[in-house]
Parts: sequence; structure tokens; C-alpha cells
Amino acid sequence: MVIEQDKMRSLADTMAQAEVKGRSPWADARKRFVRNKAAMAGLVILVLVTLFAAFGDYAAAWSNEELDYNVMGQVRELGAPSIATGHYFGTDDLGRDLYARTVQGTRISLMVGIVGAAIAVIVGTLYGATAGYVGGRTDQIMMRLVDILMSIPYMFVLILLLVVFGRSIGMLFLGIGLISWLDMSRIVRGQTLTLKNREFIEAAQATGVSSWRIIMRHIVPNLLGVVAVYATLLVPLMILTESFISFLGLGVQEPLTSWGALISEGAATMNYGTLWQLAFPLFFFCITLFGFFFVGDGLRDALDPKDR
Amino acid sequence: MKRFLLTTALAASLALPVHAATPAEGETLAENQTLDFWILDAVKTLDPHKNTDVDGAHVLRQLFEGLMNEDEAGAMVPGIAESYEMSDDGLTYTFKLRDTAKWSNGDPVTAEDFVYSWQRAVNPETASEYAWFMELMNIVNATQVVAGEVPPEELGVRAVDEHTLEVTLSTPTPYFIKTLSHGTTFPVHRATVEEFGDNWTQPGNFVSNGAYVLDSHDLGVKVTLSKNENYWNNAETVMTPLNFITINDQNVALTRYQAGELDWFDRVPAGQFPNLQEQYPDQAVAIPQACSYAYLFNMSDKGPEALKDLKVRQALAYAVDRDIITDKILQGGQKPAYFWTHWAIEGFEAPEIEMAGWTQPERIEKAKALLEEAGYGPDNPLSLTIQYNTSEDHKKLAVAVQQFWKAIGVNATLANYEWKVHTDRLQNQDFEVARYAWCGDYNEASTFLDYFRTDGYNNGKWSNADYDALLAEAKTAENTTELYKEAEQVLNADMPFVPVYHYSNAMMVNADLRGIPYDNVMYNWYAKDLYRVAE
Amino acid sequence: MFGYILRRLAVAVPTLLLLIVFSFLLMHAAPGGPFTGERSLPPQVLANLEAKYGLDQPLIVQLWNYLKGVVLQFDFGPSFVYPDRTVNGLIADGFPVTLTYGLLSFVLAALVGITLGVAAAIRHNSWLDYLAVGTSIGAQVLPNFVMAPILVLVLTLWLGWLPGGGWSFNDPSYWIMPVIALGTSYMASIARITRSSMLEVLGSNHIRTARAKGMPERRVILRHALKPALLPVISYLGPVFVSMITGSVVIDIYFSTGGIGRSFVDSALNRDYAVMMGITILVGALTVLFNLIVDILYAWIDPKIRY
Repeated sequence: MVIEQDKMRSLADTMAQAEVKGRSPWADARKRFVRNKAAMAGLVILVLVTLFAAFGDYAAAWSNEELDYNVMGQVRELGAPSIATGHYFGTDDLGRDLYARTVQGTRISLMVGIVGAAIAVIVGTLYGATAGYVGGRTDQIMMRLVDILMSIPYMFVLILLLVVFGRSIGMLFLGIGLISWLDMSRIVRGQTLTLKNREFIEAAQATGVSSWRIIMRHIVPNLLGVVAVYATLLVPLMILTESFISFLGLGVQEPLTSWGALISEGAATMNYGTLWQLAFPLFFFCITLFGFFFVGDGLRDALDPKDR
Repeated sequence: MKRFLLTTALAASLALPVHAATPAEGETLAENQTLDFWILDAVKTLDPHKNTDVDGAHVLRQLFEGLMNEDEAGAMVPGIAESYEMSDDGLTYTFKLRDTAKWSNGDPVTAEDFVYSWQRAVNPETASEYAWFMELMNIVNATQVVAGEVPPEELGVRAVDEHTLEVTLSTPTPYFIKTLSHGTTFPVHRATVEEFGDNWTQPGNFVSNGAYVLDSHDLGVKVTLSKNENYWNNAETVMTPLNFITINDQNVALTRYQAGELDWFDRVPAGQFPNLQEQYPDQAVAIPQACSYAYLFNMSDKGPEALKDLKVRQALAYAVDRDIITDKILQGGQKPAYFWTHWAIEGFEAPEIEMAGWTQPERIEKAKALLEEAGYGPDNPLSLTIQYNTSEDHKKLAVAVQQFWKAIGVNATLANYEWKVHTDRLQNQDFEVARYAWCGDYNEASTFLDYFRTDGYNNGKWSNADYDALLAEAKTAENTTELYKEAEQVLNADMPFVPVYHYSNAMMVNADLRGIPYDNVMYNWYAKDLYRVAE
Repeated sequence: MFGYILRRLAVAVPTLLLLIVFSFLLMHAAPGGPFTGERSLPPQVLANLEAKYGLDQPLIVQLWNYLKGVVLQFDFGPSFVYPDRTVNGLIADGFPVTLTYGLLSFVLAALVGITLGVAAAIRHNSWLDYLAVGTSIGAQVLPNFVMAPILVLVLTLWLGWLPGGGWSFNDPSYWIMPVIALGTSYMASIARITRSSMLEVLGSNHIRTARAKGMPERRVILRHALKPALLPVISYLGPVFVSMITGSVVIDIYFSTGGIGRSFVDSALNRDYAVMMGITILVGALTVLFNLIVDILYAWIDPKIRY
């Protein structure tokens, strides 16, 4: 999965042009977005998954850590999904309710995805806007630093960080967020450079508005479209990264779980007649990734319409 | 001097002086005598003095032969040594080496080879991680040599003549002979080691004295061995070649066993054994293995105050439902543990443990009462952290134990660390309750019981003078059974740990493979004793 | 252009140095050392071991000696966990394997991905298009740690067509599953980018003009549409190439190929400082190098870009 930088640049251009022409790109975008079937389907999926994460617990017959001693030891025979036992999604190898665990795993995975993306987007925007606006030597140094960070094999560093500082969600955010803001900062900087010399900015400077205020009031709002699209497309990347980390056994602590942890447990036992352990988490994982994907793409197409 | 026969097993084998592949009446050997054996990780080294892991030991046992081997029941049988004598004070052992023994390049195996090799194992320059094994054997000056206080030549081992080796011990050691099948005591070929340095273990350079020679070593993929034509008993070796195939994922390894790519797959994943037994009744086997699993309490100053109270420790130990762990989670022939030493260890008799006789509801009731007496209850719940290292099985057990303790009102938090951090924290007493397992180094109870000695590894820092005295007495006693039993009882009375289960090795073995030592709890097998029969 | 390359190279050296120092310190800060084991070693044995590997010296001295060895002799030192091997030897063993399946996956992913993407764009809204879009979306979200065991299950256990793992340079049957497992999701991404970029180009004015002039469709696509459509694909291929040839832990674990991806994770977990550093430096250098190459290539293909 990948974010196409070219299209993001094009989107940023469109948004900046709109500012110059004094037209809001958002009004038409909404109509276009609603007309996009894939994007709307994606949105519906995301809403449903979010509801599942938020309220799924109310429908659960078991907690996410209780062991069902009746099922334990015969999971293959008795642990299958069933309304009667209250295990709607079946149980895991220990007899824990997979439904409750999926609800809880969904929460963690969504949180990792959204918080991770938010960190990346906020850091990237502020960094890029600062570099572009201040310009000169500062800009050069800041962008050189981005170049340097770009050439660090970040999966390696992430593994190293988790090994050294122990597993924690905080470290996961930091590690994942660490790299994702780099592309974002480049795009933002580019647009800031374009905007910087426009009359309205110069006017603001002349009336003595502080640099920080100009960045926040005039530059960042013009980038909201890029930010929104970027964030939406980053979430699935974050979720994928988290799943890989969980596969390595460096993810969240038991009894908490995540999609990645559930899927890797399910994948390990898929030949043992307990396929539901893989199927349910994988289903939620996939549809959510689709959802973000479609919404992100749709949002971008809506804001930056081209003849496609 | 008193002349000893090796063991009863040897007395029997004197008529049949060697232990080798011996097809039974009516069995026809198969055309194909290849062995594909699974190993989980890359073999880190083929230097017997530097190896530290089990997979490596399996490979080395085929390549090298020490003074003693083990038979299918785990009894010591002659290897390079034909016979030995022990002096009356139990301090000097004299080994008569086989004059037919040769290295794979044709050189004779001499007493001098053993002297060189044992000195090499303790030499600080070798920096062997298993140098302590020679200290465990109580060889004179082993400790001083390791510490660099005296030169390696001072080690208590010397060549009387070309085929006579004399070993001097600092204290009588009843288990001494049992240590002689361990890789650290294997001889290495001096000229080769000196010529190639660290590269001597590369195929092409490698010279060995066991039943097999090294053909190739593709790190992390495969190690291939074939028959050593110069082995003194090569005529009776059947199996060749041997492939040690690395598969990093246990479940994939099982799939590949089922696809016929492996002949022997040990360590069946937890919970899968019953199904496999049903599907492949002629291939699934579970045998006892000399390891014990436990949760250690941190009793040091750094440990939580609550665990200093015996009542709390007892309550926690009672609350763990071992039957659920062995019968519903692991399901591979493991046995619930109420004491520390593995039940199948030679000469060990299980002590009477009160808790073993109770039913689980009784234990829970007692546990609750004890906790209350200790001042914990719903208003003042006990909170603890359970530390375990990354592994699917350890995770399952920790999750279950957390729930068992929840049932008596204890809030346990799970803390999972990767292996290095887990051990580091254990060794620095940075834990409250930690998962631990110990595997015996030789087939005698002291290998387990020494762990809890005040100066043993004893990561929980429990200390008991009576216990130490009992073990000290056992070192020189004629009959150790009662002493060990008593030591277990002292241990149990103070409960510095929660015994959980005694290991078993659940494995899948190709139906035509014979000669596997199912009765050897040490799981030391020799490919030279194996063979495949025609269907 | 030349100045640009120089500038980039000037950044590359400090980047690598920074990476080395950072990983070195990070690694040594991790709890436990290479010789922390089940049984705490007697202090003398530990001291002997540390002396042998120079771990008894102050950290800064160790770092200096390490850098000296790497820069002056290209010697990455002995492995702490594989006592009879050197880091150079371990990398020389493992990297060719990684490189082989990485390059093959890359070629496969690029060829199939681009072909599929172009075909889907040309036959926009046909069954081929839907099929391509559907499979590529599915393949992008299926984690390869799920795909790998499925491949072993199907191709080895059920069909018995391929060996379930291991590696041989002489027998391509060992290469197939690693290549599929590694390449599929990248192939899907490439197909998707190619398709959308191709669609955009096909809708642009100069293609309309070309078509209006009555140029044969085949020629329109090959001559006029393909090159601009591939630009975004190429900028994506750069990082993909680097991440493919620098190894995949998942592939190495499931197919026991002996590649460096698994070695890296192992060395980090085992605190095999030297191996971990060696692989980090190798991967870091490759990343820097190929990022540079891709940027130059891109500048060369797309005249709009100025540096």
C-alpha cells in the first residue's frame, strides 16, 4: 500500500490556486464525494467498524480475558462460532471469546492508526510550513535533515527502538510517526513557498502579524485538503505497520490485543481446523483498510477533480 | 583400588560391547536411510566447547564422541572409553580409551586429545560460555583456570599413556560419570584447531571423531552429515546422510513434516498433540523430558513485601490449576508439578506433597483463607506483575495463571519481555513473579535441586540453611534418594516458587524410524543407533 | 545536475555516520548483552568473553575501534553469537540469498504490475479492469505473514509441487514461494499506480489530439501515453526496490531462506552487536545509494524537475 506523492502534490497545487482565486474548493467537493460510490461505501464501512469498536462490547456475552473452561482443550470441536455458547466469532486457543477480543483489538488498531497518522500529519505540516516560511539557511538545514531521515531504513530502527525500550504503545506511535511525516513536510514546504509571496501574506506581514500567526492563519488552512487526504491514507499504513510489529511479537501487551496480533495467532493455527481464529480478525482488518483507502482516494479526487 | 563395572547396563553390554543400530528380529532395513531432522534455529557453532544450545548439541553428538555415550534408557555406556576405574576416595578416575578409535582423517584418538580439549574448554582464551560445566564436574583447578589464576595445564586431567586418561576431582562427585556425554567434554582435533583457528569448523577443514563427518553447513538452512568411514564402529552405523533442517516457524515445520519433508519433528505446538495422535496414531509420541516449569517469586530485598509472607506464596501456588494447564492447554503429555525435580529423573522418588492430594476447589478455598489471613481481601486486593518472555506457550500460561489468581482476588498484570530482557531482569531481581524453566544437565536430581541453593542460580534469592545442608550432604552420600526427598519437602514448606508442570517432549516420528531413545529423559540421541525399516 | 549529485553524496556520508552512531548507542543501551543467558555466567567467564570481544572497554573506545575497523579495513568484526563466524562472512552468506529473491520479486512485481495496470487502464471499466482493481486491492491488504503460510499449505502440503522452504542457488523451485510472497503486494501497488496514472494521461489533451489526428491506438499508447504515465511509477519503484533487496523478515522466517532480514531481527534480539551493526550499515548504505540513483534517474527522465 502506498500514497502517491505526485497526486498529493497536484492536490496541494489545486488547493493553493483556490486560495489565490478566493474560491472554496470544499463546496463542490462534497457533491463529488457523495457521487463517488466507492468512497461512500468506504465511508459506510468505516462508520460501521467504528460503531463496532465503540459499542460492540454491549453485545458480548464474555469479557475479552475470561477463559471458557468448557471449551478449553477442545477448541477445534467446541470453540467454533456459535450463538448458543455466546462465542459469536468462536474462541481462541485458550477459550477466550474471539468476539470480545476482536472488538478490543479493533479499538487498539484504530487508535494506533489514527493517532499515528495524526502525529505524522501534525509534525509534517508544522515542520514543512516553518521551513518554507522562514526560508533561507533554516530551510536548507531543515530539509537536509529530512533528506537524512529519508535514507534511514526505518523498519530496522523501529525494531531496534522496540527492542531497546521495550514494547509500549507510546514507542510504537513514536516509531511509526517518526518516518511518516517526512513526505508530508516536503509537500507542505513546497506549497508554503508558493503562497509566501502572494499579496495577502505580504499584506499581513506589513501590518505586523507574527510569523507563527501567519503560518497558522493563512498557510495551514490552505493545506487542509492535503492534510485530510494524507491522514486518511496514512491510517491504513499505520495499521499495516502495527500488524507487522505484532507479528514479530513486539506489539501490545496481553491481555490487550490488536488486529495484527489476532491475525498472526490465527495464521499460526490455520492448519489446525480453527480457521475462524484467522477469518474474523482478517475480515475486519481488510474491510477497514479498504474503507480508509476508498475514502482517502475519493476525498482526493473530489478536491482535485481531473478527467479520470 | 576397587574395580567398578560401569553400570548394570554396561555389565549387560559387555557381551555386546557396543551400542549401535540393532534391527530387531524380522525387520528389514529400508533402502533409504536418510534422516531429516528439524531444528528451529541456525546452528550457532559446531565447536563443541562453544555451543550453548540444544539444536547445536544434537548435531555435535553425531559428529563427536566423548568418553561415554547414553543408551536408549539414558544409562551411561562406553564411548571412546572402554572402561574406567574410580579410586577409593572417589577423587581419581582412570579411563582406558579404545585403541581402535580414530579421527575422521585417520589419526588415532588419544588421551592427549582429551587433555588438550578439556584444557581448551576451560582456557580463558577460548572464552567458552560452558566453561562452568568443567567446574560442575569438580575437576581439580577448573575454577582457578577459568578465572585465569592458574594456567590451563594445571587442570586435573592428564594422559598416563596414549590410551589411558586420568581425571582428578576436588571433591567426590556421584554424578561425575553422567556428565561425560555432554558436548563440553568432547575431544577436538588439536592440529586442525591450531591450523585453522576459528575457521576449523568450516566444512572441508572439519575433523571429528564421532560416527559422522560434516559434509556441508548452509547457515540457517541446513547442516548435512554423512558416515565417518574412520569411526571405530562404522560397520554398524546404518543411517546416512543426516540433514538438520532449519525451519524458523514451528507451525510451518509441522506442515512440512506432514508434507514428508521431515522424518522427525519434536516440540509439537501446545494443544495440537491430541489431534495429531488421532490422525497419525503410528507417528505421534510423547516422552518425558528433564525440564520443569515454574513461576518464581522474587524473595530478595527488591521483591514486593507481600511475597515475603509464606501465606501469600502458598495461596498463589494453590490457586494455579495445573490440571487445566497440562490437560487443556499444553495437552502434550506434560504432568502437573507439585515439586521441582522432574519426576522421571533417575533415582528420584517423588516426595509427599500435601497440596497434590487436594482437589482444586479445596485448594482455592485454602488459598482464599490464607490470603485473608495475610490481610488481603476485596477491600485490599493483592496486586502483582507476572513477567514472561516472548513465546506463544508462555503467553498462554501467563494468561491462564492471571485468571486463576483473579479467582482468588489477586490482580495480576502481565509483562512480556523478549528473552534477553527477561533474563537480565531475572538476574538482577527486577521482577515480582516470573516464568522460569530449568532443564537438567545430567540425569540426577542435584541438577535441579542445586538451582535453589543459596549460591545456586536461584533468581528469586530464596535462602534456607537446612536446604543447603541437605544438598551438601547429598554430594558425598551413598544413598541420596531420601536426602533429595527431604530437600524437596523443605522447598515445598517454604514455597519460594509455584511448580507448574514437568516437561514432556511431544513429537512426530516417521513410522519407519527405529531406535529412538524414548526412555531417555535427557533426550540425548545418537543417529548411529537409529535405522529405518522397509515398509 | 552534477552539483546536485555532489551535494547528495555530501549528505550521504554524515547520514551513514549518524546511523552508525545512533544504532551503536541504541543497541548498547538495550538491557542484557550478547552473553546474557539462561544461566548467568560465572563472573570470570563473562569477563573472559568480554575481554575477548573488547566489550570491557569504555563505550566510546569500542565505537571508535569499530568505526576504525569498518572504515579502514572494511572489517565488521566477529559475530558474538556465532563464535566461528565473522560479520563479513555472515553477510556474504546471507545477502546473496536476499538479493536473489529480492531482485526476482522486484522484476516480477514491476513487469506484471505495470502490464496489468496499463491493460486495466486501456480497457477501462471492462471486466479486466475490475478484476485487476479487485485483486490488486485484495493483495495490498493481505499481510505477507498470512500469505506465506497459505502458500506452504497449498503448494507444499496439498499439491506437493514445491519444497516448503530452504534455499538453493541451483534449484529455482526454492525461489518461487519467497518471490510470490514478497512480490505480490508490491505488484498490486504498482498495478494500481500505473492504472490511475495511465488513465489520467489517456484523458489529457495531447492524447486526445494524437487520437484526433487518426494515429493508431497502439501507437498512441506506446509512443505518447506510456512514458508520462510511468513517471509516478518510477518514483515509487525506487523505495520499493530498496525495501525488497534489503530483506524481509517474514520471508526468511517462513521459508527459512537464510537471508539477512531474519539475521537482523535475530541479532537485535540476541544482542549480537556486530551483526546488527553490519546489517544496519549495509541496508543504510543501500538505501542512501538507491535513493540517490532513483532521484538522478527521475531527473533525467522528467525534464520538468530541476535541482
